[in-house]
Amino acid sequence: MSSEGDNGMERLYAERLARYTTAMRNERPDRVPIRPFVAEFTARHAGFTCQEVTHDYDKAFVAARRCAADFDWDAVVSNMVYVWTGLTQAIGMRYYGVPGIDVPPDVGFQYLEPGEGEAFMKADEYDELIANPTAFLYNVWLPRVSSEIVPPGAASSYRSNLALVKGAMAMMQYFGAFGTQNAQLRAESGTVSAIAGIFKAPLDILADKLRGYVGLSMDMCEQPDKVLEACEALMPHLYHVAKTTADPLQQVPIGYWMHRGCVPFVSPAQFDSHYWPTVRPIIEELWRHGHQTLFYAEGDWKHHLESFRELPDRSIVYHVDQADVFDVHERLGDKFCLSGGIPNFLLSHRPAGDVREFCKKVLDVVAADGGYIMDASAIMQNDTRAENLRAMTECTREHGVYSGSPSSPPPAPIVAEGSLPAHGGSTTAPGQCIEWATRAATLPTIEGDADLVEEVWNSIDSLGNVFIWQWLLSF
Amino acid sequence: MPVDQELFDAVRQADRDRVAEAVRAAIDRGAPVSSLLMNSMVPAMREIGDRFAAGEVYIPEMLMAARAMQAGLDIIEPLLGTSDHEPIGRVAVGTVKGDMHDIGKNLVVMMLKGSGYEVTDLGVDCPVEKYEEAAAGGATVLCCSALLTSTMTYMEQVVGRFQKDPAIKVIVGGAPVTQRFAEEIGADGFAEHASEAARVVSACLAGE
Ligand code: B12
Repeated sequence: MSSEGDNGMERLYAERLARYTTAMRNERPDRVPIRPFVAEFTARHAGFTCQEVTHDYDKAFVAARRCAADFDWDAVVSNMVYVWTGLTQAIGMRYYGVPGIDVPPDVGFQYLEPGEGEAFMKADEYDELIANPTAFLYNVWLPRVSSEIVPPGAASSYRSNLALVKGAMAMMQYFGAFGTQNAQLRAESGTVSAIAGIFKAPLDILADKLRGYVGLSMDMCEQPDKVLEACEALMPHLYHVAKTTADPLQQVPIGYWMHRGCVPFVSPAQFDSHYWPTVRPIIEELWRHGHQTLFYAEGDWKHHLESFRELPDRSIVYHVDQADVFDVHERLGDKFCLSGGIPNFLLSHRPAGDVREFCKKVLDVVAADGGYIMDASAIMQNDTRAENLRAMTECTREHGVYSGSPSSPPPAPIVAEGSLPAHGGSTTAPGQCIEWATRAATLPTIEGDADLVEEVWNSIDSLGNVFIWQWLLSF
Repeated sequence: MPVDQELFDAVRQADRDRVAEAVRAAIDRGAPVSSLLMNSMVPAMREIGDRFAAGEVYIPEMLMAARAMQAGLDIIEPLLGTSDHEPIGRVAVGTVKGDMHDIGKNLVVMMLKGSGYEVTDLGVDCPVEKYEEAAAGGATVLCCSALLTSTMTYMEQVVGRFQKDPAIKVIVGGAPVTQRFAEEIGADGFAEHASEAARVVSACLAGE
């Protein structure tokens, strides 16, 4: 019994989805889609402090929806201020500076990388990680990153047990809320939720959450083979996370947050030996299953564009941060859709006229033949000026219209199994913690339906897997 | 004293143990510590900095070289104090308030140390007061680093604080910072790369 208005919203949503997905397949839609990655800007626009949106995800959701509606954008991330302190406080997560607690209430949350000596994984722990990444994360990593959770062998404690229970339930609650948020975005303003799922490169995971960048840099000199083995061991797990969190309808891409895998963080030789060989097969495998990946290429990856060209046409959307968007267009534009490239410095600190001028140039050159999505270079925090975002939006509406009928995206790729090794060097299957065979050995002979018992075991066991890998990747 | 080739090579090749050994051996031979620093270690670091700027070596190599150099400095520094060595300048380097990024700042510290300056590392999240303390402690050049568009504007406050003090120079840098921005906020210097920081500091000290 949907009213006229609801139908209107549905139509708007369909129109936007077609515009967005057509551009992402590097085709020409009716006009350039607008998909700004607004983070703490949403809070400012909606009149909330950073503390409010980080502590209360309902407020963060409201703020994201308010922005989407007020600016009339095609797609937004349903909550780019993704850290919810209910969750981080539940387990006493050490690595966040929390607005209102560790940093002033109107400063965004921040990930704090520990110094070399305090790394969450030690230089001599590679073998343990490689043998069973999931167990390593639970047994070694989690007790170190949490102020509450004790490691196996230590006396169990009230606080530790509580932290695990509260953390798990809070995560379920938070993830569940995203479904409602996406539906509301769609119903209230016809806005598309821009990405689904998460991927990070094995080498970045090692630097960001395990060894720290400096520690990893030393390891790359002192024990490069171990580092490579660890990357390979992480691969199937990271693939599994990406695949199982991706959009089942294969419409919107998986977010791939690229931190420090490029020159000068690594040498070209290290990129070739460690970074790229442990990323490329995953991207290809995802594409074989019909999933595009959004390369959110933080910094400047100009030395690696040739490597990215090895990927199948249209398999990725390439987001431009500090690189020269015109140069990237020349070098990748024939193969992949691009997004971003509008400097945050302009959006935060220059008059609207400058923003317009730059956007117009990008629209005229980069977007000329389709395959471009309007966005800033980096995520937008609360220093971004609303009038400049308005200028970016209006300029795109004005100059981003294509003549002629839109080209249609080609069909999704044929699904075929690829060559990704199932377990890497480790013993446990991705997606599980304690495998059924291990469990079954502890049970008496099952007289009833053994398959049913196995199925339920696996599905509940996989929740344990989701919990720890989501901590590692998303929070 | 001429270059101590062994020390020069050990720094250049980022070999920590060899650097410490070479320094100890040279000191045993009676080499003046100030010369070991200025004639052997500084040129080696300069070479690495130049190669970084030219895109021939990368941050991991820089970190390894800095660590090797530090192994030598750990031995030399206590002795420098008792010799008649005068550093070519006193510099303080910090990431500005609200900003926790320190990889670039650390490279600047390294390159300045590697050029023979006495460098105080102020760390991250530095309010104006931190720079004031450094100036009170004898630093005449203050280097500010920022990586966020939301924190780069804080540099203006640091510059503003020392504007009326001709003896103190403020230099700015970090990925979002440009020459134009540096000029607009009235900074005394700017460099795009850590490897150019020493040149900018020296220009400032020369009053250019
Ligand atoms: C590493 C990193 C982090 C690490 C920092 C670890 C550490 N110990 O430094 C962590 C994960 C902790 C982090 C946190 C955050 N980050 Co961050 N981070 C980066 C990243 C990937 C690299 C930065 C870097 O180290 N560059 C390498 C160094 C060598 O470059 P550099 O600092 O520019 O230095 C060179 C020159 O500029 C110069 N230089 C530097 N300083 C100075 C000073 C002087 C005086 C001179 C002469 C020269 C000079 O010398 C250096 C060598 O040549 C960038 C993206 C990217 N790839 O650029 C994002 C990036 C800077 N971060 C960003 C953001 C948003 C954040 C967070 C807010 C995210 C969050 N919510 O947690 C927090 C903020 C924390 C805070 N308050 O500071 C954004 C900024 C966007 C914006 N609008 O400005 C970026 C651009 C990523 C993005 N595309 O969204 N980050």
